[in-house]
Amino acid sequence: MIIFDDVWFSYNPDQYVLRNLCLQLKPGQIIGLMGENGAGKTTLVKHINGLLKPTQGAVFVDGVNTRETSTAQLARQVGFVFQNADHQLFADTLQAEIAFALRNLDFSKAEIEQRVTRYLERFELTRYQDQSPFLLSGGERKRLALASVLCVEPKILILDEPTQAQDALQKQKLLDFMETFRSPDHILLLVTHDMEFAIRAVDRLLILSKGQLIADGSPRQILNNPSIFERARLLPPQLTQFAHQLAEYIPQFPTDITTLPEAVDAVNQLLRSRR
Amino acid sequence: MAAIFEAFRFKQKDTFMHRLDPRTTFFMAVVFSIVGMLFLEIIPLLLILLTMIPFIFLARSVRQWSKSLRGLALLAGFILTINTFFLTFSFAVSTVLRLVVLMTAFSLFFLTVHPDDFALALIKMRVPYEFAFAFSMAVRYVPTIATETETIRDAQMSRGLELERGNILQRVRNYIPILIPIIVSSIRRALQVAESLESRAFGSTTNRTSLYELKLRKRDYALMVVSTLILVFALYITFIIRIQAPWFLPDWFFWHFPL
Repeated sequence: MIIFDDVWFSYNPDQYVLRNLCLQLKPGQIIGLMGENGAGKTTLVKHINGLLKPTQGAVFVDGVNTRETSTAQLARQVGFVFQNADHQLFADTLQAEIAFALRNLDFSKAEIEQRVTRYLERFELTRYQDQSPFLLSGGERKRLALASVLCVEPKILILDEPTQAQDALQKQKLLDFMETFRSPDHILLLVTHDMEFAIRAVDRLLILSKGQLIADGSPRQILNNPSIFERARLLPPQLTQFAHQLAEYIPQFPTDITTLPEAVDAVNQLLRSRR
Repeated sequence: MAAIFEAFRFKQKDTFMHRLDPRTTFFMAVVFSIVGMLFLEIIPLLLILLTMIPFIFLARSVRQWSKSLRGLALLAGFILTINTFFLTFSFAVSTVLRLVVLMTAFSLFFLTVHPDDFALALIKMRVPYEFAFAFSMAVRYVPTIATETETIRDAQMSRGLELERGNILQRVRNYIPILIPIIVSSIRRALQVAESLESRAFGSTTNRTSLYELKLRKRDYALMVVSTLILVFALYITFIIRIQAPWFLPDWFFWHFPL
């Protein structure tokens, strides 16, 4: 469990980036974090693994105050995949890249070897294992970055903008992976601008605007409240926009549509009732 | 670490120093650096530093300057220890002072001169446009790379990297996971920038004109004259007086710590 207890944070004294943030993230859920550029999303998640410490208030990860521990220690429980894979890949080979975090955290040699093999396989990278990470394609580098964080088997995983510059197939693969990560004692936090993706992936959506939490609930609850979207400069999914516009002509048409099957269903019913 | 860069990050302000011609500021920075290199005695170096401080106030950049001084503390501590160990404490102090003088001289320049204006100044000084442009690009990317360095450090720390772990050799090696991504992404970016420059017809004409023209004013000439006088005076002391008639120099000139 992650607890933000009245967290305030500022990089320089006259301007708070996070304000009065109270939040509980419970295991077993995939949670989305959205908000306009500069809303404080990355600043917020950096508090979870202690890269940033609150200016005021406290953050607890599994009962431990992040002020009283280090990022290296938290790395066992919190995995953080950064937006740009090129910001973390450096090793000579894929094997060494995955082993890096395990070595830092003093895993035994046998355990390291075993996990490297397992995670290369899981992310379909085994055939490149002796190559340089820099020879991989963009999508493969992204997968390697994920594998090199996940090999620690953290209970909490943070993905910062994982869908950026990814094609539809990669997005689907990411979605499948996120589902496999779901378990009663795991927390997955997804930071994204990609509304369509978030709606499909998350159980709970947090909307941050100008450093304050302005909405917290299931995607469906939040989609029903258009004012939130304006404040956080987000666009509802196209299907929801479509439903809202159609409802102006056909009042009985449901507006809380988020997925394709729901839309097909609603249109189908409409057509049948007209016949 | 990144705090050192603060001293070299241009901030748009409307002050006496910002309004000077970039050539003047550049000349001053060079003069102060040369003068700083001429002396290794504590009091003269302090005097040079004191001469520069009013200019920092004039540029209203005291906060940035002092911030980068604190960023320099680690390096200064290192120099102080090593030099005291192998040479003397006084020598160590004057080496640190010399470093501070050099940093101050150039931070005065970078804080008050917009990189584009500096490129213009270089062109006025007959440096080919491509080189001037390359230089202003390099300066332009310092803050970008500084920010990127912080991101990379965060990413590696999230993977359990501890920079302060192990003996000295190990500590240096701890920086490899940070350095390699910086180099790789800088090269990637350089290629991208080159392509984007070419696609915008960079270098298609040989005679390039510029929108703004630099002009030296009275205050520029005045400051250049003062700087030249300082330089001549310093050269005179080091190469004539100190060699031929050191007894003319007052005692405080040579003052040093007893160890």
